[in-house]
Amino acid sequence: MTAAAIDARGLGKDFGALRALDRLDLEVGDGEFFGLLGPNGAGKTTTVHLLATLLAPSRGTARVAGHDVVEEGLAVRRGIGLVFQDTTLDRDLTVAENLRFAARLWSLPERVSRSRIDALLRQFDLLERRDDPVRALSGGMRRAADIARGILHEPRILFLDEPTAGLDPRARRSLWDRIRGLRAASRLTVLLTTHYVEEAEPCDRVAVLDHGRLVALGTPAELKQAAGVDSLEEVFLAHTGHPLTEADGA
Amino acid sequence: MRAVYGIVAREFLRFLRQRGRVVASIGRPFVWLVFAGAGFAGVFAGRNEIDYRVYMAPGLLGMVVMFGSLLAALSTVTDREAGVLRMMLVAPIRRSTVALGKALGATLLGTAQAVVVAGLLLPIVHLRPTLAGALLGLVAVVLSGLALGALGVVLAASIRSIENFAGVMNFVVFPMLFLSGALYPVGHLGPVLRAVAYANPLAYGVDLLKHALLGAWAGAGYGGELPVPLDCAALSLFAIAGLTIAASLLGREGGVTRTAFRQRP
Repeated sequence: MTAAAIDARGLGKDFGALRALDRLDLEVGDGEFFGLLGPNGAGKTTTVHLLATLLAPSRGTARVAGHDVVEEGLAVRRGIGLVFQDTTLDRDLTVAENLRFAARLWSLPERVSRSRIDALLRQFDLLERRDDPVRALSGGMRRAADIARGILHEPRILFLDEPTAGLDPRARRSLWDRIRGLRAASRLTVLLTTHYVEEAEPCDRVAVLDHGRLVALGTPAELKQAAGVDSLEEVFLAHTGHPLTEADGA
Repeated sequence: MRAVYGIVAREFLRFLRQRGRVVASIGRPFVWLVFAGAGFAGVFAGRNEIDYRVYMAPGLLGMVVMFGSLLAALSTVTDREAGVLRMMLVAPIRRSTVALGKALGATLLGTAQAVVVAGLLLPIVHLRPTLAGALLGLVAVVLSGLALGALGVVLAASIRSIENFAGVMNFVVFPMLFLSGALYPVGHLGPVLRAVAYANPLAYGVDLLKHALLGAWAGAGYGGELPVPLDCAALSLFAIAGLTIAASLLGREGGVTRTAFRQRP
């Protein structure tokens, strides 16, 4: 039996009186493309931060990349890449300097990181911009650099938290091409959070979250079939009684 | 450790890229030398044991270290607002490594600035330290930088936002400067302020710098006021305490982590 990439049992988090995540049971297989779908405030980002050891769970446990998120935080972080909702690049440094900084944080040997950075810059069409400060880059390029930073250490699991937020349709499309390319080239497990149904559509499986609770879980086809509807949008409506988009920004 | 090196290297890259910061840090002590020096030199004109500008030199170097190290460490606040801190927190390194890297980067930045300023300032005031004095001065600068850098990380981990910088400047930086012996001997302060001064890491740094640079005037009462080992011990203690507190502040979820990952309502 191969260990699941992610295995959460009764995972939950409270912020004061706010129950951000109730009790989440979730298993994501190796190499799976997994979507967490839900409106803002559903607990998607909290889930990602718990799985990435950035928050301590209020209850429950989780193993990520074969390690416990509470007991073995360093080992978990070694096995994952995380692309945050907002860029984490240093805007004053160049693209190459940012990647070099990340390579040192992940303790990659200089020789390895140099060739890997070159390859990633080429792969993400950033070669000509490598010596430009990040602040001079378009949103789409910044996002590409963020993802390059996230996979620099060749993680087993990549978390993408609302990766297309704030991007124009063209940048969004090219981002999806890149993610598809990445998955085709390796057995990378990808956990994506989004509140756009069309982004959850190509996922192997989707977990629907609302108000910190898991309301549905399955392949997009299963979910639609079980709810007797044609779209994930309607799946969300059928399970929660309110539409996904209207809950936006609530 | 490569991660610490990476954090330190980034501090230097950022500093050199911000030209205004370079000019300010090198120019600031000379502004003080000219303006404060001219005024106080007039007040002290009747006493000719020492030129006030010479007396000021160790204090000005201490000031360079303080601004250099403290401000660099306080940039942790900017890192948090810009999101860069999250890149560090998701890396497979301990929170204490992040704290150590920031404090060490601040120390080395403060030290480099002090060395450059010393090279310009000491010839201007005709101070020629002995080799032993120069080495002791370097020790003073490094230890002060470490103590103040650690303090800066502690402050940064406790400050919520960049707006509180002004408060830090008014209630930390300036009292620290005036109660450091940089401008007048600590011994001349009243007992209460003197007690406060001895809770000030910069006071020990400036005192050590006076031992290093003003040995020739020690007999006239212008040298260091405390024993050298005490200065070194106090600075080391501040550095160790600061680093320990900074690491635990960055480590606990309610510290930087919560503000870095605060849930948007």
